[in-house]
Amino acid sequence: MTRTSKLYVERFTPYQRFLHLLIIVSFLTLALTGMALKFAMEGWAQQVADFAGGFAVLGSLHRFCAVITFLYFSLTLKLLVKMWKDSGKTLLGFILDPEGLVPNLNDAKEMAATFKWFFGGPRPHYGHWTYWEKFDFMAVFWGIAVIGSTGVALWFPEQFSMVFPGYWLNIATIIHSDEALLAAGFIFTIHFYNTHLRPEKFPLDPVIFVGSITVDELKHERPREYEQLVASGELEKLATKRAPEAWQLRSATIFGLSMVSIGSCIIIAIIISMARYIMRH
Amino acid sequence: MKQRKSGFSMFRISFLSVAFLAFLGLTAGNAFALTNDDCLGCHGDVVDETVFKSTVHGGNGCVSCHKEAAAAKDEHTLPLTPVNCGGCHEKVAAVHAKSAHGKAIKGGDQQAPRCYDCHSKHAIFRPTDKRSTTYPLNIPATCGRCHQEGSPMTTSHHLNKKNITDNYTMSIHGKALYREGLIVTATCSSCHTNHDVQKASVPSSSVNRNNIIATCTKCHAGIGEKFMKSVHSPLVTKTDKKLPVCNDCHSDHTISQVDKKDFRLIIARQCGNCHGHYSETYLETYHGRASMLKGGEKLAKCSDCHGAHDIMPANSPESRINKANIVKTCSKCHAKANDSFATYLPHATHSKADKARYPYLFYTFWAMTGLLIGTFAFFGLHTLLWLPRSFKERFKASKEKK
Repeated sequence: MTRTSKLYVERFTPYQRFLHLLIIVSFLTLALTGMALKFAMEGWAQQVADFAGGFAVLGSLHRFCAVITFLYFSLTLKLLVKMWKDSGKTLLGFILDPEGLVPNLNDAKEMAATFKWFFGGPRPHYGHWTYWEKFDFMAVFWGIAVIGSTGVALWFPEQFSMVFPGYWLNIATIIHSDEALLAAGFIFTIHFYNTHLRPEKFPLDPVIFVGSITVDELKHERPREYEQLVASGELEKLATKRAPEAWQLRSATIFGLSMVSIGSCIIIAIIISMARYIMRH
Repeated sequence: MKQRKSGFSMFRISFLSVAFLAFLGLTAGNAFALTNDDCLGCHGDVVDETVFKSTVHGGNGCVSCHKEAAAAKDEHTLPLTPVNCGGCHEKVAAVHAKSAHGKAIKGGDQQAPRCYDCHSKHAIFRPTDKRSTTYPLNIPATCGRCHQEGSPMTTSHHLNKKNITDNYTMSIHGKALYREGLIVTATCSSCHTNHDVQKASVPSSSVNRNNIIATCTKCHAGIGEKFMKSVHSPLVTKTDKKLPVCNDCHSDHTISQVDKKDFRLIIARQCGNCHGHYSETYLETYHGRASMLKGGEKLAKCSDCHGAHDIMPANSPESRINKANIVKTCSKCHAKANDSFATYLPHATHSKADKARYPYLFYTFWAMTGLLIGTFAFFGLHTLLWLPRSFKERFKASKEKK
């Protein structure tokens, strides 16, 4: 059976894939430029600054990517509003949709079932979004709120202090810096593992770049979604015969692996730098 | 008018006799004196007569310095003892004898510098003469003949300071001398004196801690006035601890221009030598962190907020960080600084040491750290447990393919 004869289901629209591309590029740049400042006493950070042409360039890149972050944040909100409108549900109905992005009771059950699966139980019948995927999405969502608001405060300290006490900038620095550690640490280890590096997917799941998966994969990985699609008769509508082109898969692999490698290098640098910092103090 | 008598009166005879005897007496020692021409007959290759005549000693006879040779009729005995300049330059010789150089000579150090090692032998010119070894432009080279790595002196002696003339050349004083051609800049002797050179550990040394301020303010008079009114002045602060003197912040031979990168990048370290806690906490904040990266010289350094020579205690109305002035101080960089902005804590950390003063920083940090540890602990465990399952799934999948 050749690849082209398989049936494919679209999981991410081109627009959603574009949004994730914005996230990848801006997040890696933000992490690198920010961590270079946080760990400025380390040789690698100084080399990054030398290469960029100075701390001021790092700062400009960081702020530019912050703007991209706010951009994809608002585009995602807009997309959610559109999805809500298209769904024909009430706002509450949309938010509490069991197959939506907001975690619900079923996710808690599924998580418990997953731990049972780890110890030999049956594999849970995951749906369109698993609980760890929902967490990824929601974490970025509230992460941006936290890191974005403190970042803006530090970007415009004089204006910020006209409204809030100046020493809140000290607090903002701690929150921004630690939330960044959390975000970078989470994405470069947990997200990378859950999505790409775990043995079933290793070294890369290209779905976020090429957009579609085979119906076989869907049936195996997300049986609940598959059953729902079969029951509603939507599967035939969604499943197209078009497989991702070979060049699409190849560029997705090259780009994706490069980004995963860069992220891994950053997290290794962070871990070593933190260990050295703790040992000094 | 009384007419003069011809012939020899007793008075005239006695006058002439006295004059003759006086002439004999005066020249007695030099009855067989050597002229410079006599000396140059043999030593013409050593001394260039035309150059010698233009030196400060050009009017002197060779034997006025080489006294032993004076008695010789033809060839003098060898070896002659070294020339004693102190015969004429009594005061200078006495000063030199007590200097580090003079003491070394007395101690039998053959390499210790005698007058002619610095002043040369037969080409001694006034210090204002460009040809002089003690002309300002030539002093570093003169001293560097011994005090520079690679000289015979540095291999046979242990000199505390290394690469002195190289460092001096790169310093603000050296650049002023060599690049700008300023002969009023400080050369070696400006700080170390010329003849009374002493080790810095000697209390009377011009470069001893207790005398450094006086030495530097010979030229930097305006700075001296400011400094003596500052918190660092021994007149203002009475303490058992060491108060800083010029070279504690500015270093000595490597002294650099204070608005240049070289100096701006070491300010935090220099101040940190005494104010360690403040230097460390500064380095924990944005100003300090970014200072470590390329271009970091532009960021606020200790002196940008606290001042340099005129630092006052924070409670003094003249202090730059006093409530009355702090907004102005911040606004040097932050144009829109305001009262609230100035409550930013440029030295505060979330450390345990600062917990009592800044509990909100301490608890914010630990709340965030708790969130991090919690998240990574849960998902770390999740991942670890998943790993063997995931391997099994992969093997199963590859078996099914076959």
